[in-house]
Amino acid sequence: MLAGAPAVSFDVPRVGGGSDSLAAHRGSIVLMNFWATWCPPCKEEMPALEQLYREYRGRGLVILGIDQGESAATAGAFAREHGVTFPILVDEDQNYASSYVSVGLPTSVIVGRDGHVVRGIDGAQTLDQFRAAVGPLLAAK
Amino acid sequence: MSPRVTAIVLALLAIGLTVAQDVAPARDWYHSWQYIALLALAIVVMAGYAWSARSGADGAAGRKLALAMVGAIAVAVTGLLSGLIGPDTVTVVGTPGTVAPVPDLGVAAFFPAVDAASLARGDSIVTLRRRGADPLDVGTQPTPIGLSVAFTQLRPAAYVAARDTHGNHLTVTQPNNPSFLSPVMLFRQQQQIRDKTFPMDTFATPAMHRIARILYFSAADLAAFRHGLSGAGNQAGAVLSIADDAGNSRGLTIAASGMPVTVADLDLTITLGMYPVLVIASAPQPAVMAGGIVLFVLACVWSLLRGKTPAAAGTGRVDAQPVT
Repeated sequence: MLAGAPAVSFDVPRVGGGSDSLAAHRGSIVLMNFWATWCPPCKEEMPALEQLYREYRGRGLVILGIDQGESAATAGAFAREHGVTFPILVDEDQNYASSYVSVGLPTSVIVGRDGHVVRGIDGAQTLDQFRAAVGPLLAAK
Repeated sequence: MSPRVTAIVLALLAIGLTVAQDVAPARDWYHSWQYIALLALAIVVMAGYAWSARSGADGAAGRKLALAMVGAIAVAVTGLLSGLIGPDTVTVVGTPGTVAPVPDLGVAAFFPAVDAASLARGDSIVTLRRRGADPLDVGTQPTPIGLSVAFTQLRPAAYVAARDTHGNHLTVTQPNNPSFLSPVMLFRQQQQIRDKTFPMDTFATPAMHRIARILYFSAADLAAFRHGLSGAGNQAGAVLSIADDAGNSRGLTIAASGMPVTVADLDLTITLGMYPVLVIASAPQPAVMAGGIVLFVLACVWSLLRGKTPAAAGTGRVDAQPVT
């Protein structure tokens, strides 16, 4: 993953209707989480991401859960079952994960307000690890 | 053969050999001792002729041709240096949608993301970006960049769309490749079957616990088999061998490009096409080569024009007064 490089964006369908993209959230700190329903660590990580979203969305954090390669119906059913409230995007062509050279799932990518990659994180994270990753970025104006 | 004719023939040969590095780059032959020896021999002969001709040994026309030899020698020297000390050819294979640094050129190569349709068209180009410079699109035609040329070669690729039997889209992974989560197979491996070698790749559908080996068959290869595919026409195809997580074989089929097939509880659509790899090869110094060729051509023309004056006829001298 190219930390410091411009973050590439693709317009993809959003669970619940319409489409969304990273570029649509330019100006915010964005945490993209690449995941899939068949991936056990992704499932384990979801509650931490949901909690992070609830804690930090008021401070401007955007979380995009970007399902890799699955249908909107599959991703949507998973999100409802696990009480996920942050936006779930469906990337059937897997453009996001391949472009960010994701070596496995889950992978998280933090993008700064300037639209550049801040860092990439391979593997499942705990809530504290997520807080430590995004907290300083949100504090910096 | 007179020294003059020998020098001119070798000059043309040297220029041709050097220009070939730009026209048909990335050939191993340019780094071979035979290529180097030919250019070195041409340089020695041309230099010897130019040295003697400059003092009038070959008349006034020879003096002009000595200038032409200087141009040809410059071209030959830059061709020789490129072949002798230029870097080896580098091939950069990039996953669609990724950026690959190319330290030899000081640039980053952007490999475009593709979907099934654009892969089938095979018209993707690689874009080189350098800080402070405009992006440079590189296609199959050689593009000079400093002391190198860059161009793309189109290689077989496949876009894999997988669904379960209920029609739900499935994630495609490539456990053996750096591009773990790309549905685009670049056939980085090969498999030999009898006396033929076929491009090969591997993908998995983790949700269905399936691992597939995919072989690329060209239209000619496919036609050699009595595959009985309806609608396949004269297209390329893919041979798919599916196994489960435990390695047990679950099915084997041949898929025509873009035609869905069902095998081992998977609905697969394999779209075959071409995707570029970036090739960087050493090249002669363009300014020296262009200047040398211009000098060679102008001096040759000049020597011919002056050599046609009546005063020169029968004397071997061309430095007479111009015709009025």
